[in-house]
Amino acid sequence: MPVVHAMFFGDADYVATDRKIPAGFQLGQVVGHLIVSFNDRLNYFGEFSATAQSTGYAFEVERSILRYDFDDNLKISVGRYHTPIGYWNTAFHHGTWLQTTVSRPEMIKFGSELLPTHFVGAFAEGNLPSGGLGLQYQAGIGNGRGSIISRAGDAGDINGSRAWTVALSARPEALFGLQVGADYYRDRVTPATGADAAEGISSAYVAWQREQPEFIAEYDQIAHTPTAGGPRTTSNAYYVQLAYRLTGEAHQWKPYARFEHTTVPATDVIFAPLDLGYEGAITGLRYDFTSFAALKAEYRREHFQTYEWSNGAYLQVSFTVPNLGGGDHTTMQQ
Amino acid sequence: MSRTLSQFRRVAGRTSGQSRSVAIAIAATLAMACLPAASAAAQAASPVAGEREPIAIVVNPKDGVSNLSFDELRRIFLGEQQFWPDRSKVTLLVRAPVARERAVVLNEIYRMNEDQFRQYWIGKMFRAEIAGGPKIVYSSDMAMNLVSMIPGSITFVLASAITPNSKVIRIDGKLPSDPGYPLK
Repeated sequence: MPVVHAMFFGDADYVATDRKIPAGFQLGQVVGHLIVSFNDRLNYFGEFSATAQSTGYAFEVERSILRYDFDDNLKISVGRYHTPIGYWNTAFHHGTWLQTTVSRPEMIKFGSELLPTHFVGAFAEGNLPSGGLGLQYQAGIGNGRGSIISRAGDAGDINGSRAWTVALSARPEALFGLQVGADYYRDRVTPATGADAAEGISSAYVAWQREQPEFIAEYDQIAHTPTAGGPRTTSNAYYVQLAYRLTGEAHQWKPYARFEHTTVPATDVIFAPLDLGYEGAITGLRYDFTSFAALKAEYRREHFQTYEWSNGAYLQVSFTVPNLGGGDHTTMQQ
Repeated sequence: MSRTLSQFRRVAGRTSGQSRSVAIAIAATLAMACLPAASAAAQAASPVAGEREPIAIVVNPKDGVSNLSFDELRRIFLGEQQFWPDRSKVTLLVRAPVARERAVVLNEIYRMNEDQFRQYWIGKMFRAEIAGGPKIVYSSDMAMNLVSMIPGSITFVLASAITPNSKVIRIDGKLPSDPGYPLK
């Protein structure tokens, strides 16, 4: 009999900002996970979200992956993924409770146009024999971006040019808690309007997740070369996040800060019309009032490409409901 | 006791009927065949007077492994290594809180507190790195029973809880009673 696990992630927010965006109380994403083990080797991972919008709720199949594990060195899968670009996109993504901060970095925001956050295709992944270095690889081929470039090509490849990506990461034994990685993504982008361009994304990151301190830094470079001819342009985006879990009686508290920056050349044929330039800094405090729920308070000062600097205050309660009614007895219930 | 038996039945019930029968047969056979060796292992695991009782790492008797480096042990307990060298699946059995052996394992192997430990496994499942967390056991008896039943399983118990049909493995070449054993 298949073994089934289910998990939920959710959050509720309060936003006060001088940006011209809807403020007040907001229901964030409600995200459900369904994990099915058909046997020791064949597993299904599904992630489904409902996102509050002004016209109702948007339902989305975020991930739907069927994977066969030959062993630790080779796992083959097909479906819809979080693209292994950088660290945040695969480590936290829709898991608001998992991330220290209220929101993702702007470069990986919900509906990001800068990075192809989802990927429809097939992957091979696994460990690489590397002793204490803890090397892991991922290699995938898929449809790439859709005609709306924030979306994956769920219904097929719009331009007949498959995207591919390779990623390499290390979790060295000697520096337990450290993860470093680099990846490359290649595609041809054909937006519904505008020029068609070859896209190459290079990314690298360092993450130290032991909480005392927590440190995450990620850099992405997105290059576009118009297929009709023209100069190659490169956009750059990075963020640096630092947090520290306090000790003793104050161990439920974790102050944090993040700085991020995105630059897009005015000559970029894909990005320039989208006003993706950004600079921002946040500082906040996270309070884990139970093992599965956290309250976060955050101040944000930010500057979008064509707008003035703005200030905002954000409050969020985020939570997870782990292993709902699973046919297994995992640590999450303890 | 009834809770332990209930958990035991439910976990054992997840294995297929055929593999469960095989596991039971193997466990029963090995329980008799391994008595002298297990007695020696239990003797070797006896704590030295004045020291804290060591934590023994126990695997299913059918497993080919008899020694792991501490780094290998950590990779298995972290879910980074999910298969044994013979490509059989690792089943990790972890004692529920609150127990000294769990505290030692969290401190020495995971280097996490209870909250970090929970978040770690939720994160692993969230990222689709694993399809399920460790199986929880509620007593040393349950751990020893299940590890003898489930092929590919690995668990930890106080050295004094080792039973005759158990297979205690060396860590960095050391048994629990040896000087320099890392889990005390």
